[in-house]
Amino acid sequence: MRRRLVNLAWQIAIGVAAFGIWQWAWDLHDKVPWLVPEIFDPYFVSKPSDIFEQFLRMSCLMTPKGDWTLGLPGGFAACIGKSENNLWAATYFTLKNTLAGFAIGVSLGFALGLLLGRSDRLSEIFYPYITAFNSVPRIALAPIIILAFGIGDMSKVVTAVLVVVFLVFFNTFEGARSVDRDHINASRLLGATEWQVTRTVIVPSTMAWLFASLSPAISFSLIGVIVGEFIGAEHGIGRMIIEAEARGEASGMMVSVFVLMIVGVILSALVSRLQAHLLRWRPAR
Amino acid sequence: MSDAAPARCRIEIKGLRKTFTARGRDIVAVDDASFQIADGEFVALLGPSGCGKSTILNMVATLIEPSGGSILVDGMPVTFGRPTKQVGYVFQKDTLFPWRTVEDNIGYALELAGVPVAERRTRVAEAIHRAGLDGFAKFYPTSLSGGMRQRVSLMRTLITQPEILLMDEPFGALDTHTKLEMHSVLLGLWERARQTVLFVTHDLGEALTLADRVILMSARPGRIKDDFQVGFERPRDAVALRETPLYAEQFQRIWHSLGQEFAKGHAP
Repeated sequence: MRRRLVNLAWQIAIGVAAFGIWQWAWDLHDKVPWLVPEIFDPYFVSKPSDIFEQFLRMSCLMTPKGDWTLGLPGGFAACIGKSENNLWAATYFTLKNTLAGFAIGVSLGFALGLLLGRSDRLSEIFYPYITAFNSVPRIALAPIIILAFGIGDMSKVVTAVLVVVFLVFFNTFEGARSVDRDHINASRLLGATEWQVTRTVIVPSTMAWLFASLSPAISFSLIGVIVGEFIGAEHGIGRMIIEAEARGEASGMMVSVFVLMIVGVILSALVSRLQAHLLRWRPAR
Repeated sequence: MSDAAPARCRIEIKGLRKTFTARGRDIVAVDDASFQIADGEFVALLGPSGCGKSTILNMVATLIEPSGGSILVDGMPVTFGRPTKQVGYVFQKDTLFPWRTVEDNIGYALELAGVPVAERRTRVAEAIHRAGLDGFAKFYPTSLSGGMRQRVSLMRTLITQPEILLMDEPFGALDTHTKLEMHSVLLGLWERARQTVLFVTHDLGEALTLADRVILMSARPGRIKDDFQVGFERPRDAVALRETPLYAEQFQRIWHSLGQEFAKGHAP
């Protein structure tokens, strides 16, 4: 208990110190240049107060003049209407595409992993192709995907699927190969048909391996979507970052990064909860 | 057996052989094994470890393909990989499905057979009660003790009401106390249905406690060495039985024969 409090105190102290340096270090630059490197220049990294103000403007909580929109009748709606890729819409599209890429990638990776994992013949035939394809950094394919699927949502989902599918595939493949032979025998001896063995033994045993890949899969999916948005998109947080960069507006990029961080944390937490529930039969460690 | 008519034969093994190839050499695991098991008979297949007794059992269970000889169950030859309907099997290793609760493990075979949910529930509840597992229906196997897991395994097989039961050292991994407890449980369950049982073990005390007949195997290459009738009355008390003079007498008789095989098994 005491230890936890001390740790919490340290965590708060480190956070406050980091934000403090970020906020005020540059003010000392002219006096002691050797102490404050160029990287603290707000032109590159902005500063917490600017980022927060920028957040209020981008999320339409405040007008560009600095008035609270929630105080003005219809102010918030008017601001949202002005920008198609406002922070809320961008977050919505990025999140939607991330979840779609995750769902499709996981399903596809699981199905393929199961199929090849349970068939020696198929895995032998496809082995060189999978190894070759797996050696290609998936992100390198993003421009090709944008070219093929356009700058709409589809290309982002496809990029995310491509990033997720291999991760899930390899996990499932390993899982499908390591199903306990005695579990399969037990099932057969209790009267299971081949299909019943697959459904009641192979799929559930492999699931445990699949679940272990869900946490990285959701992060990978988000990476895939953001990269897709960098290259060409109508909306999304990735596009927002690119736009802010074009304007040389560090605070805008930082707002986007913070929003991504929050999205990432929430997604991981949800997946962890799901994982814990689905693997509740495992002994607590 | 004092019955006038001879009981019909359930399992008939003739000239059964199994050879494995390991490191380029042929190893004879089972050599020319022949015996018959009558209906309702509880037979223990006893021998030192590595003598091929589990191999015989697994060949009867269709898990291992014989190299020669024949296995008839109820007069029909068994086919490798095609489990025989009236045969139930209990593993040595814990093979409960860890992702299923106790009740879902026990009800598994009924689920496969498409037994309606209501009937399934009744039968599972009864099985749980009979195995002394009340209150553990919703537990996952990982939170149970070894003895309890083996009870669940037993009920998972028995719920299909197999007429023939093959058991591969099912209590081999349990401590002495739990093992005795499981003997009582098994005897109690067996008294109700009187299945035909082939029970593999290397524990003479266990064989005598449970079986009507002990088939003794020699060390590798596995051959049938001896066949003893165990003359205890049924129903038996697994604990009290061990204190009777007859038990000591039987034990000594078989122990002598078994001892020779253990000595062989450990020779360089």
